[in-house]
Formats: sequence, C-alpha cells, structure tokens
Amino acid sequence: MKREESLFGNIDWTLFIVFAVMVLIGIANVYSAAYNPKAPFLFDFSQKYGKQIMWVGISSFLGLLVFLIDASIYRKFAIPIYLFCLILLVIVLFMPPVNGARAWLGIGSLGIQPAEFAKIGTAIALASYISSINVRQQTVNTVIVANIILLIPVVLILLQPDAGTFVVFTSFLFVMYREGITYDPIILHLVNLIPGVRFKKTWVGSHFIPIFFVVIFLSIITLLMSNNTITFSFLPGIVIPGFIGVIGSLSVICILSFFILRFFVAKRDRKRIVMIVIIGFCLSSLISSIVNFGFQGLRKHQKDRIELFLGLREDPDGEDYNRNRAMAAVGSGGFFGKGYGNASVASVESNHVPESETDFIFCPLAEEWGFVGSLIFTLLFMFMLFRIIQIAERQKATFNRVYAYCVAMILFYHYAVNIGMNIGFAPVIGIPLPFFSYGGSSMMSFSVMIFILLKLDSQRGDFLG
Amino acid sequence: MNNDSRRYVIIIFFLLVGAIYTIRLFYMQVIDESWTLRAQQIAEKRKQITPPRGVFFDRQGRKIVANKTYFNLMMIEANIKNFDTIAFAKLIGWTPERVKSRFWEIKLGEGRYKNPVTGKTTSNYQKIRPYPFVKEIEMEDMLNMAPFLKNFPGFYEEITSMRSYPYANGANILGYLSEVNGDEIKTDHFYSPGDNIGRAGLERFYEEELRGIKGIHYIVTSALNNAIEPYADGKYDTMARQGPPLKLGVDITLQAYGEKLMKNKRGCIVAIEPSTGEILSMVSAPSFDPNLFVGKKSIAKNYPKLLQDPKMPLYPRPLSAEYPPGSTFKLIQGLVALQEGVITPGTGFPCKKSMVGCHNHPNAGSLAEAVQYSCNPYFYHIVRRVIQQGKRKKQTEDAEIGLRKWVKYMHSFGFGEKLETDIIGIRSGLIPDVKYYDKWYGHHNWAFSTIRSNSIGQGEVKATPLQLANLACILANRGWYYTPHFVKSIGKKGPLAIYRKKRYTMVNRRHYESVVEGMRRVVNEKGGTGAGARIKDVVVCGKTGTVQNPHGEDHSVFIAFAPMYKPKIAIAVFIENAGFGGTWAAPVSNLMMEKYLLKKITDKEKEEKMLKANLD
Repeated sequence: MKREESLFGNIDWTLFIVFAVMVLIGIANVYSAAYNPKAPFLFDFSQKYGKQIMWVGISSFLGLLVFLIDASIYRKFAIPIYLFCLILLVIVLFMPPVNGARAWLGIGSLGIQPAEFAKIGTAIALASYISSINVRQQTVNTVIVANIILLIPVVLILLQPDAGTFVVFTSFLFVMYREGITYDPIILHLVNLIPGVRFKKTWVGSHFIPIFFVVIFLSIITLLMSNNTITFSFLPGIVIPGFIGVIGSLSVICILSFFILRFFVAKRDRKRIVMIVIIGFCLSSLISSIVNFGFQGLRKHQKDRIELFLGLREDPDGEDYNRNRAMAAVGSGGFFGKGYGNASVASVESNHVPESETDFIFCPLAEEWGFVGSLIFTLLFMFMLFRIIQIAERQKATFNRVYAYCVAMILFYHYAVNIGMNIGFAPVIGIPLPFFSYGGSSMMSFSVMIFILLKLDSQRGDFLG
Repeated sequence: MNNDSRRYVIIIFFLLVGAIYTIRLFYMQVIDESWTLRAQQIAEKRKQITPPRGVFFDRQGRKIVANKTYFNLMMIEANIKNFDTIAFAKLIGWTPERVKSRFWEIKLGEGRYKNPVTGKTTSNYQKIRPYPFVKEIEMEDMLNMAPFLKNFPGFYEEITSMRSYPYANGANILGYLSEVNGDEIKTDHFYSPGDNIGRAGLERFYEEELRGIKGIHYIVTSALNNAIEPYADGKYDTMARQGPPLKLGVDITLQAYGEKLMKNKRGCIVAIEPSTGEILSMVSAPSFDPNLFVGKKSIAKNYPKLLQDPKMPLYPRPLSAEYPPGSTFKLIQGLVALQEGVITPGTGFPCKKSMVGCHNHPNAGSLAEAVQYSCNPYFYHIVRRVIQQGKRKKQTEDAEIGLRKWVKYMHSFGFGEKLETDIIGIRSGLIPDVKYYDKWYGHHNWAFSTIRSNSIGQGEVKATPLQLANLACILANRGWYYTPHFVKSIGKKGPLAIYRKKRYTMVNRRHYESVVEGMRRVVNEKGGTGAGARIKDVVVCGKTGTVQNPHGEDHSVFIAFAPMYKPKIAIAVFIENAGFGGTWAAPVSNLMMEKYLLKKITDKEKEEKMLKANLD
C-alpha cells in the first residue's frame, strides 16, 4: 500500500533535521545551564538535563505514534480533540495552584500543562472549521465562529491565569488573516450603516491584524527604547537617544532589504516592492515618532503607569530584577561568547537569572556563544519558520495549510516574545522557547505539533480537500 | 491583494522581527559594553583583600606605629538557621536583648529607599549581604569564640587590622584612622564601605602611600552571594601589597620628653635638624595618647571629649596657631638691614625710649649687642632705614617701595607663606603687604611710622611656631633651609622631591655671622636675655621673645640652635601665657637640646622646676 511505503519516505527531511538539530542543541544548552558538578552524567535522570532527555525520548515515542496513525484522524476527530483540550483546561482550574497559577495537571515534576496542548487542539479545530467553509464568501457569522473557537480556550487560560499563553493565542489571528478571515465583514457592516456609503471591502478591515501587530510591536520597542540612550564604546562621547536608534535600525533594515530584494524579486516587480519598502519604512518611522513624542507629552501619572507595565523603571534589583539579570547575561556574551559551560550570570548554579533553564534558556545560550551563537540560533529559527510556510503553501488541503500556518505562527510568537524578553524588547511574560526550554509539556507539545505537521505533509497527496 | 499573496505579509513580519532582534543582539553583545560591566557587577564579585597599612619608624628605627590584627564578626541574615539568641549572646558576651536590638540597629543603619513610582518604601538592608555584627574583636577573644561559631550558621569572622601605638606620643603628628564616608567612596574608587582612611597628620598626608595596593580576587558568585569558584582560575587575581614603611625624622624619645615637659602647659615645641630639615619633634600641648583614636568605638567615645576640651588638645598648635613672633623677629630685621646695606655690623644706635619702650640695658654699639640686649629702638631704626630708603620724595610713596621689598625678604625666610611640610593643618601666618595696608589706611596713606610695630615682631605680623623653628634652622645654616618635613624615607625611596631642594634666603651668607654672634651672646654672655638655655661645653645660640597678648599674660618664646658650628638641632618653643621668654621657654628648649645632644640632663633642678610648673 502506498501509505506503508511512505511511512517515513515522504517525510520532509529538511524540517525534521532542523527540528532534530534544535532539540540536540537544546539538550546541550540545558546541560550547561543546569550543570550540577555533583552529578555530571548527562543521562542522570535526577538532574534537569537527564529529565530533558527523558522528555525528548517520550516526545520521540509520541512522534512515532503520530506517524503510525493515519493523518485523516485529525480532521475527522477535530471537534473531540478540541473538546478534550477544553475539558482539560476546565479540570486544571480545580487543581492546587503552583506559583500562583492553576496551570499544572498531575503531581510534581511529572505534571503537564494543558494550555500547551490546547494550542494544538485549537489549531486543529481552527483548521477544521476554515476548511469547511468557503472563505470567499466570508460573513459576519464565519468571523464570529472562528473567533469563538479561539475565545473559549483563551478565557479558560486567562482564568489560570497564564498571560503568556494568552499572548500566543493571538497568533491564530494571523492564520485567519492568511486565510482571508478578517474583521472586514464587521467593519463593512458598520461602515455601510453610514447613509450613502457602500463599500465592498475596506483595506483597513482586511489588513487590520498585521497592521495592528506591527504598530504594537513598534510601539513597545519605541517605548522601551525611549528612555535609553545608545552609546558606542569605540566612539566615546557620542550618545544617541533610543528613539533615534529605533529609526536608525529601521533605516538599516530598509537599505539592506533593497540589496536583498535585488536577488529575490523579478525585475518587473522590483519597482513596486521598492515602493512598498519605502512606504513601510516611512509609516513605521511615523508610528515610532508618534509613539515616542506622544509618550513624552503624556502626563506624569499616565507615563508612570505605562512605564510600570513595561517595566521601564530603573529598578534593577527589584521589579526589574529578572529582565536586568537576563539582559546582563545576554549582553555580556560578546562576539564569540564566554565558551560552553562558562556562563557566569546565567548558570543555574549561580542563580542570578531566575528560570535560566526554562523561560530564560536563551540567556546561557547567548552568554556562552555570544553574538555568533545568537545569530546562528536566529537564522536556524527563521529557516525553520520559512520551511514550515513553504510546506504550508504546497498543501492542497486547506486543513493542512491552516494547520501548518498555525504551527509557524505559534513558533514565531514563542520566539518573538521569549527572545524579546531576553533583550529588553518585551515585558517579562513567561513563555517557553520551543525545543530549548527545559520542561516536559512544552517539549512534548511542540514535538507533537511538528510531528503532526510532518505526518500531514507526508500524506498531502492522499486527500484533496 | 488575494489571500495567497498574504503569505508575504507574514514573511515580511517574520523578517522584520528577526532583523530588528539581530540588530539589537549585535548592539547589546558587541557594541554596548555596559551589559558586560553589569554582568561583572552581578556575577564576578571582586573580593577585595585590604592589606595592612604601611608602618612608621622613628629616626632610630623604632617602630612607632604598628598594626594589630582584629576581627569583625560578620552576619548574613539569609544564612542564619535555628538561631539561639541566648547561647549566641553568651558566646559574644552580650545580653540577649542587646543581640536582638543589634539586628534592628544594622537594618535601620542602612536607611530606606522610596520608590518614586509606586511610593513603596523599602529598606536598603538586604538579607543576603554580609554586615559586621560585632566589630573590632581582639585576637584572644576571637580564638575563644571561633570554635563555637559553627553552631551559628550565618555568622563568620573576618580579619581586619587596626593601628596600635607602642609609644603613647606624637598623636598630633601621626594622625588617626577612621571609616571612610560616602563622599570619599564616591570620589576615590579605591575605597569601599568599612575601609579606613587617614584622618589627620601623616596618616592623611601619606594616605596614598600608606594604604598600599588592594588585592583583587575575582570569584563567580551566586545570587545568594556565595562564592562559587575563582573566576578564570584566578588568572586575573592580584595580590594585596602593604604600603611602604615610613621612616620619620622624629626621635620618639625626644618627642616623649617634650610632651612630658609641656604637661600642664599650653604651647608647643618644634625641633628640627638644620642640615636636613627633618623635624625631630613637634609637641603640641596639651597632647593626648594616640591609642585613644584606635577603632570606631574608642573614636566615638574620645573624639567628642577631646573636641570639647577648652584646652583644645586637637588643635595643631605648631602648625595652625599664628602668634606674633615677638623679639625673635628682630633677627631677620638685622639680616635684611645688612643685606640692604643700610647698616654695617658695627652700626650702633643709642637706646632712646622716645619711640618705644625698652628695658634697661647699655646702649647697643653693634648689631650683635642689639640682638644680645634685644633693644627695641635699635630695630625700629634699622627697619625704618629699610622701609624708607628715600627713593621717592613723598614719605608714603617711599614706604610703599620699601615695604614691597621687605615683604619679599620675609617670604624668602618662609614667613607669610605656607611651608610645604608633609602634614595637614599648616597655616601661613601673616606678613602684611602693600595691599593689606592700602585696604586699612587707604592708598598712600601710610608710612613706616604707621607700621613700625612689625619691626619688633608685634603689630600685624604673625607666624606659626613651625615657621620660627624654620627661622632657627636658617640661622643655623647661615642662609638656607630645607622645607621642614617628617618623613625621611618612604620605603626604599628617600623623602619627597620638594624636601631635597635647598632654599636660599635673599640675605647673603656673609651677613649672618654678626646676627649669630648676637644669638651666642643672648645665651652665653652677661646681660643676655636667654641665659636659661646655657649648656656646659656646647655653644647654644638663641633668642628670646615675649609676645604681648591682649587677652592675658604674655606668651613666652624662645628660638635656638646648637652647637654654634655644625649645628645639630634648631628649636622653637612657645609657651602660652607664661610671661617673659627667658624664664620659661629658654629653659624648656635647653632641656630639649640637652636631651637630644647629650642624651642626659645635667641640671636636674631645672628639669624638676619645669616639669612641676603648672602654667595652665
């Protein structure tokens, strides 16, 4: 049978290898971060690195299971899977709280976090729903149903409370955007209420999601940088306001993209793309300026409130402890890093960076491998994301494509927020770094997520939906 | 834009975030160094090893300032477990209440911090930081305590050193140590809280030499401040180095003897070796035991007491007290007059008391005799000749030219300027110049007659005892001096460069002999005013002074050097409110010189009288 000969044959090995490389680097990194000289054996299951290997083993087993099960099951059982996840999310609310959140199901270190798996369940449910409708005729109803599918787990997760996972759930809005489910019908409905106005579609409504998130992203970065100054050790005496630094970075990206686009864009499209880049740059700079000067113009108590929320206040040993220590660890890495196993700030032993093996796992990586390691890490991650999008776009089934986009967006969100936290670009909200953070739930859920994608992709010829 | 091309929006979003993060990472890790410093601050604790301070030796090689090892009992609250207050109180010999209140004392002592945003007030005290719980524990006590400390986790001993003074003398010279304050820590990064700094005297002047070089051990520490391991295997560690020993010109037995002589008197003695400028002794009476200022506890106890004492024992009289120099000043006037050529050694003036009073003595037929009799009118005449040389027709204009020249002469003798002696608290005295009198009387509104009192060392002119001792040196050397100084060598190096430079006065060497002859007569001839300073077999040259004091009894002054040829000691003695210079100051300087030159006292009766005298 076709399926049997293609059990492993049709796997996208590129994605699988990137995934495997990340997991291996992740283990090495946890080993360094959590190294205990009294138990130096890598497979010591009493230590975090031993446990992490155990989790990887369990994840591999789950991956094997995923490969043995026919891919059509996800589509067929989408609703039961979704409901199962919701039930787990409800049950977890009755569990005793750990660190102030009712997020753990099970006992002690062997517990799981249903919220991690709810991402997969929601992704499957969303994929199932979108594949069942004709998005070309999206109505107010389809938008509302899609949003409700998101809203139920979000509400349950906020009850735990778990702000990080909530933020990650907003990533599904991008998937909906890609599939054409936007807030346009709602906005059209409202706009067309105005007498004499009759729009078929609005640009703002269609592209609301990316615009909204780019604005949020730029605003947060501008605000975080607005109080800082940028100095260069080789140019003493030159002090650049943080806001200028943001605009400067945007200009650098703009100029770089001109050069890069020469290689990737056909000649006839070049003019258009250049225009888009220039307009994008101008708009971004404008947003950044408005936010910066608007913020400066705020009354003091309003400013204080925003600064408190973003952790902008200089309080390195108090409220800002985590981020300050994390940034010190990352920033002290230098170009080539301090060398493997030499982290002085981010090792668990020294305990300066709290959670340096889970949420702040990027710290030991960046401290030990420096900018070179951080760059390789970023490139690896970006490569994985693009590969997933490539895989998504080659799917003939809408279900598969939507699911693949969900995976890409979830991984991207985790990357953006987690690394942002380590470099002072995001408020500290605890979410793990996929494949790197120590922890069973995240290891298993991200692995299963990837394995389901690989399985769906390997069977992409089976059903044309 | 169709749905398929929306993938590019997402891709661009990925790229935008990836690019911005990469730029940020590049900036943080490669360009900006502040995070590296922050990381060092956090994790690579530099453990400072403070070396013991440099010690002091006197001119005979006797150790006069030493270091004694003490211990501080340190406490880290976070590490305290199962604390038994009563047992601990018993161990350190306190009451349990005192132990409890000590915890509060430390906490409150750290102050509080108010967060400007939240308005929350938090204590600066941190449970994970070490604080000294008991300070300055002596070695023996610590040895008794140490074996039991392991029962009290969170407490440990830390070694420190403090000064000790084998001789209870010279407190005014040596100075003392106390803890650095916040400003000092801010301005000089050498110091960290709890360090000691020189507060006065030589300790302060030679602070940078004495403190030595701190050793730095880099260690990787945990958030709980526990050392984990030496950083980079100790590659960057440096050893602590003790400051070099200071060898002083001071003779501690002479100093001790001087302080003994000056008991129950106010005033000072300054003795200098003329050939080197090394200060042999500097007594400021009343004096105090330097051991009173060792350690925080005793400073806190004794400092206010001494500060409020009406006899002002903390006031460095030899350096800061500005007295009119009295008749000792006449010596320079004679020298200046000779240099200016307005008199010869043989010039005589009749002692007419029309201008100023004088005591009864024969007319001075020469400068030497004038010095011998300390004849006031004589010196009026000669200083008038110096000031009013008739270069202008108008008296006042003429006086201005003369005074300008005279001021320059005085400065060349070290008067009216701060001597650059290696100690804190030096004052300049006062040599009134043209500006000074213009301000008082108006421009061209004064002449010699207005300022004549200066010629006999009264009036506006003022000098410190150190300057007078230096004058004795100049006379002993016949025209030059080394700036008086205490330290003759710093470790293997000699004294500071400024003390190796000979300074010449504006008066030629050949003019000195007649004044020195006058000084010999003061002590050794009949009719001299300083017979009390005579030593058998040693020719002492001296000059008495009696400083009129509007507030009470006159001050008794005597300057001298001996022997007359190849002098070994020059001395100035000031005794406040003691009357005539010959009665008190001359015998005291006589005893000092005998002690130094002969190592014995020939006239026990005189010594007895001086020791017993209570002039306070």
